[in-house]
Amino acid sequence: MNNRFQKILGVAALVSMLVTLWMIFAWVPTEAQQGIVQRIFYFHVPCAWVSFAAFGIVAVAGIFYLWLGGQIWDDLGHAAAELGMLFCTLMLISGSIWAKPIWGTWWTWDSRLTTSFVLWLLYGGYLMMRAMFGEGEQVARLAAVVGIVAALDVPVVIVSVRLWRTIHPAVLVTRQGGHGLEDPRMIVTLLAGLVAFTILFAWMLMLRFGELRMRTRLRMLARAIILAEYRAADAAEYRVAAGNR
Amino acid sequence: MNGFWTLIGKDLRLEIRTGQSTIAMLALALLVLVVLVFSFDPAFVRGPQAAAGALWVAMVFAGMLGASRAIGAENENGCFRALMTSPLDRATVYIAKLAVSVIFMSVALVAGLILVVLFFNLEFSSALIRLVPSLILGIAGFAAVATLLAAVSARARGGELLLPLLIVPIFTPALIAGVKSSGAALAGLPLAAASDWIGILVAFDILFITAGFLLFEHAANIE
Repeated sequence: MNNRFQKILGVAALVSMLVTLWMIFAWVPTEAQQGIVQRIFYFHVPCAWVSFAAFGIVAVAGIFYLWLGGQIWDDLGHAAAELGMLFCTLMLISGSIWAKPIWGTWWTWDSRLTTSFVLWLLYGGYLMMRAMFGEGEQVARLAAVVGIVAALDVPVVIVSVRLWRTIHPAVLVTRQGGHGLEDPRMIVTLLAGLVAFTILFAWMLMLRFGELRMRTRLRMLARAIILAEYRAADAAEYRVAAGNR
Repeated sequence: MNGFWTLIGKDLRLEIRTGQSTIAMLALALLVLVVLVFSFDPAFVRGPQAAAGALWVAMVFAGMLGASRAIGAENENGCFRALMTSPLDRATVYIAKLAVSVIFMSVALVAGLILVVLFFNLEFSSALIRLVPSLILGIAGFAAVATLLAAVSARARGGELLLPLLIVPIFTPALIAGVKSSGAALAGLPLAAASDWIGILVAFDILFITAGFLLFEHAANIE
């Protein structure tokens, strides 16, 4: 049943991504001021949303791991962190490609860019830590601690960096209460992008999470076999010793 | 709180006899400042904001070294395990380690500040006293994160790389706030001019000292 749900999710991801691509490239009107480059926005924003959601899952999984225990939370946090990193990287790259023609530079230390970059560094450190420690109960606990600390840091980063500087366009809600998307088709395309990326993310998370679960089970199985072999060896030795007596 | 003073006394005694942490931190702070001065010609990069930046760069590097040493020293001869199995409360161990880090970093920072004043042609004036709040808050925040994460990374192979990788991104907001408020203080502005930044430092400290207090037990758990 799990497998079937995964397949359905995969097909849904494929279909919704294709529809979104069609909408982005063929259906939605070109933005008047920025021109064709603006279309990357429908890719960029969903990437941002998915990566923030993924990092949220990392923190929640960390809390549940320390609270309830169970390798399942660690596997969830691990899978979410990897995907969050992937989509965060895509967000930074797509933003850069957009910024070059619009702002005239690949990168600028604007508040949202800086926040995203700090997030990228935070979870890069998290994944480096996992890579260095390998597997086991110890690394799970440490990863939970780092995941929680990183999540606690996010609001402080946002506030401090916003005070530092900002030029990023406020697309969804500006101070005047309007939004930069004049044509309703633009909003529909953005929503379609958000839905498609969320489904894609859910599907990828399921795949990776399932793989990590299998790996955990395999490790436990291997441990159980080694334990059983030790017991058998012990019992044989005992029988020999008893026979000799 | 008896154990608290015992732990602090132990670390201070060790440091007075060997001097291994503070001397290394001072040396690193000096080197960082020298590299900065030669990388950015002081004839062009100067003024209070640049001086504050240099001071904080030195502080971050010295602090990372100090944090890995503070826990690294405990790793020798399984001292950390002994510390964890002692009847002391884990939170007490954390607060004691945090306090010791703050003391060591303050020593390194005072020396770093004197060097910055000399290298960046500043005056020994009352402006330096106005630096105290931002520096103390910055050091406390750094030590709060570093002590927690040093316990995490101490047992990893390549832990000396892992620690900066984890600390620097987490410390970013406090770093921005610290550099800004220190720059304002060195420029002779009143404390109120940097109240937003001081507020961020206070929030950072409260958040991460509390988090360290609660999470240290999990971070430092030893099977």
